[in-house]
Amino acid sequence: MRQRNHDQSVRALLLRHPAYARLGIILVLLLCWEIAARWWIDPMFLSPPSRVLGSLTDVVETAGVPAAIGITFFELAVAFVLSVIFGLGIGLAIGLQRFVHRSFMPIVLLLYGTPQITILPLFILYFGIGPPSKIAFGVTHGMFPIIVTVIAGVQNIKPILMTAARSMGANKWQIFRWVILPHMVPSFFAGMRLGMTGVLLGVLLAELYVSSAGIGYFTTIFTQSFDPTKLLGLISILAAMAIVLNELVRRAEVHYGRWRAE
Amino acid sequence: MATDAVAISIRAVSHAFGEPGGPRYVRALLDTSLDIARGELLCLIGPSGCGKSTLLNIIGGLLPPATGTVQIGQTPVRGPLPREVSFVFQENALFPWCTVAENVTLGMVFQGVPKAEHAMRARKSLEAVGLAEFAQHYPSELSGGMRQRAALARALSLETGILLMDEPFGALDEQTRMILGEDLSVLLARTEKTIVFVTHSLGEAVFLADRVAVFSARPGTIKKMIAINEPHPRKPEFVTSDKFHSLRNELYTLLHDEIRKAVSQSAIAGTEAKA
Amino acid sequence: MSARGRSMRNRLLSRAVQIAFLLGLILLWYLATTQWGVSQLLLPNPVAVYHELMNVLSSGEFVPDLKVTLSELAIAFGISSVSGIAFGYLISRSHYLIRVFEPLLAGIYSIPIILFLPLYVLFLGLGPSSKIALGATISFFPIVLNTIAGFGYVDAIFIIAARSMGASDYQMFRYVLVPAALPVILTGLRVGFTVALLSILGSETIASLAGLGHRIVQLAEGMESARMFAYITFAVAIAAILNTAVSTLENRARRR
Repeated sequence: MRQRNHDQSVRALLLRHPAYARLGIILVLLLCWEIAARWWIDPMFLSPPSRVLGSLTDVVETAGVPAAIGITFFELAVAFVLSVIFGLGIGLAIGLQRFVHRSFMPIVLLLYGTPQITILPLFILYFGIGPPSKIAFGVTHGMFPIIVTVIAGVQNIKPILMTAARSMGANKWQIFRWVILPHMVPSFFAGMRLGMTGVLLGVLLAELYVSSAGIGYFTTIFTQSFDPTKLLGLISILAAMAIVLNELVRRAEVHYGRWRAE
Repeated sequence: MATDAVAISIRAVSHAFGEPGGPRYVRALLDTSLDIARGELLCLIGPSGCGKSTLLNIIGGLLPPATGTVQIGQTPVRGPLPREVSFVFQENALFPWCTVAENVTLGMVFQGVPKAEHAMRARKSLEAVGLAEFAQHYPSELSGGMRQRAALARALSLETGILLMDEPFGALDEQTRMILGEDLSVLLARTEKTIVFVTHSLGEAVFLADRVAVFSARPGTIKKMIAINEPHPRKPEFVTSDKFHSLRNELYTLLHDEIRKAVSQSAIAGTEAKA
Repeated sequence: MSARGRSMRNRLLSRAVQIAFLLGLILLWYLATTQWGVSQLLLPNPVAVYHELMNVLSSGEFVPDLKVTLSELAIAFGISSVSGIAFGYLISRSHYLIRVFEPLLAGIYSIPIILFLPLYVLFLGLGPSSKIALGATISFFPIVLNTIAGFGYVDAIFIIAARSMGASDYQMFRYVLVPAALPVILTGLRVGFTVALLSILGSETIASLAGLGHRIVQLAEGMESARMFAYITFAVAIAAILNTAVSTLENRARRR
């Protein structure tokens, strides 16, 4: 009798909180990985999570790795800030004036749709193998979602709100400052979330491409020397960094998009 | 009427939309003249597309008339006059990113009210509409009726002589309208504002107005002016009185054929009728 | 001028500005390489690029690389679309499963999965298999998420109405669920396709022995700027054609 109650309460717990079930699935997957890596797969190709975790300190202590990670983080931060500045500036410039919008929006969409990866070698050629090329590539990826969402936020204002402001005597500057700008904020933050995704993609692509310095150097070395432990360790650290950055921007979006609850 | 007793004077105003001779040309308003007395509550009522909202926008300076002039006191209207005229719209025109209190304050910022007076005026107008407890709420958290109260508070805080209301209760259900109508009558009895109120509802017009301007179908013009001689504030008992019924019936008779005409107009033309 | 005439003039004017802008850029490019002494290695003459492009196209030199890229794309997308729709449908059958899996899948998708490319290369080598595997992995997510959304959030009223008319499970699936879910799933497939193409081009650029992305890198390292620009143009054009084709397919299927 007690066994059944126990089972029932576990089931009830899982049913009420899907988060626990999710955690359970992740643990099961990790377990499969552990087993497969230990007993089935050649240790040259895959390393169990326990070993990866254990040797994280080794990875970090490998000469040059902390510096590479630090520089990558720096590149991400700078690229994001620049994306926001350019994205906001260009977005407002295009969104506020109907003529400018009609002229340049198709160009923006055209650029947004091209596979920028094809010109990565050009960026490296022009800006070298150091941070500037990674930052530049990150900015071109992160800037466009912000431009597009800022334009949408400016253009989507209900006309009645503009009429109401005008009827209360607002001048052009007041309308921009008190009506257009606050209306655009949630779109802007949504754009920043997409922008962060773009910046991560751009910077990491550039980093992986350059195999003579930075992260790319170490991924190449670990790959060529068949060291999955260190490779996984490095990737995990970078993935964790990506998750944290994404989460930060997502939280900011939730916080500042509050009035959107209509 | 003596000249300084006239708050709004409308002379030969007409308006049309679209290009003359073009496919979407619509004559909304035809040669309308009217004097609105200071302190009176005038209702504009008529079928859809008869131009009553157009006339309201012209009075408020949001729309220039094709012909004719409007004067507020001695000043001809050539654009919005935020210090003389405030609006309450049918559509929800509260800024969704501002709380109720912030919405009210923002209106005063636009008009140019000195900052020192903001807090006091906001509190006064919110109390007048019964929303004092909800000052820190966002519009999305309020019901439709409360949102319109907030819109009214914003208009009241601007302390203009004239208040223009374009079907303010149009989007609300019958019961809310009834309550808001009674509260509005009480509120307006205390002020000395000149109010022009557009509505579709016969009962609302009779209940609230001093005079009712009945519009014909498009192209709209004033068919008849009806005087409602009943002191403010109007009591709920007024609604069940014989006087109310006979006035309402008179409106019904005047409007019924015009409404039929308007409905067949929009069916034939296939275009959206502009009120 | 009438309002209609004014708006037509504005439209023409903005079109003129666009064309002027693009022509201006090309002119700047030309001047930079011919008059202002920008190194031909960094920025080749647009005329030279054009000639190289014609050369590449007419000689058919692009064919092997294009074949590699397109076949990788086809296989990767094939894998991800079949598995994505299958998994998505299975998960969508239960609200509980949706609540468990959807955040998990969305969370994984938010990480730049391209990070795992070195791992795939270690595992599968520099050949096509690592590109296919990565492409399939990345494009799996938008497809499965959209399939879950499509099947899982069918308006309850349709299901109730069909049940009330006696629909069997199979009929429900075929005549209610599939048509209702189709638009969202098609969008997911389009996004998956675009993402697969991008990830394959990306992994070819970073670690590969063949394919369009690899060719561009090869030319960059060989300092053959004009030819590299020609291939970049070619790759962008191919991507544009493929994406437009997929978008058109999606729109046509949705309009049904």
